[in-house]
Amino acid sequence: MSNEEKLKELLSSWEDTYKKGQLTLWIFLSLRESKKYVDEIKEFVETQSNGTITCEEQSLYRALRKYEHIDVLKHELRKGIKGPERKYYYLTDLGNELFNQFVTRNIRLFYSEEIKKFLNP
Amino acid sequence: MKTITSFLLKFALAASVLALIFRYFLSYGIENKAPMIIIVSSVLYGVAMFINGFYFGKKDSEYLPIYDVGFRFHFTTYLIHNTISELWFILGFKSPYEKIEVVHVTTLIWGIFLIIHFIFFLRTRKNTINSLNKEDLFE
Repeated sequence: MSNEEKLKELLSSWEDTYKKGQLTLWIFLSLRESKKYVDEIKEFVETQSNGTITCEEQSLYRALRKYEHIDVLKHELRKGIKGPERKYYYLTDLGNELFNQFVTRNIRLFYSEEIKKFLNP
Repeated sequence: MKTITSFLLKFALAASVLALIFRYFLSYGIENKAPMIIIVSSVLYGVAMFINGFYFGKKDSEYLPIYDVGFRFHFTTYLIHNTISELWFILGFKSPYEKIEVVHVTTLIWGIFLIIHFIFFLRTRKNTINSLNKEDLFE
């Protein structure tokens, strides 16, 4: 196996592990932008992550149902341009606070000067 | 908190139908002194209830993974089976050789197992938020 092939496989393996647990963050990010329905959330996640995060519609629905059940999301029904009413999801106060605290504790670390200099290639 | 889901209600409906069919064949078998009918109907009832619970339990968990170690389905089964058995006697559908005491003893013994299951259920609730497993909340 050449070094290039090995690098590719290692990267793929690391990314597979890294992506587990990323979907919640991306769903919350998409809803920070605006209220969205499932297709819009899916599109946001896939576009904004440059295609590195993909999500099946079924797993997205399941995740949204769970987040609604624990009161971090809610939905409102709005009439689509054509077709039936759609569920537009949005973060509740609890959801926004959860997101803020998660980002402060886990994401903002990467903005420190100390860490930033290691991130530069 | 939404713990009475549509799949639990569908399970309850199917369980009620199965329990009624079972009660009918049980009384018929006892009245006609036909042990084969009693045995076969009991086994078929057990298998059908297992399939019923497995099918709707799986659907229910896929829809929303409520972490209750199966207690909601067990409690529903207990209520339906014993209520239908009691009603069967009260409404006079029983065979002349059946005794209500058998139903009461079954309810009592099963109730003890249900309480044990309830204790396990209460213990698992410590690991949940709004009935969902803390470790399975986020994707």
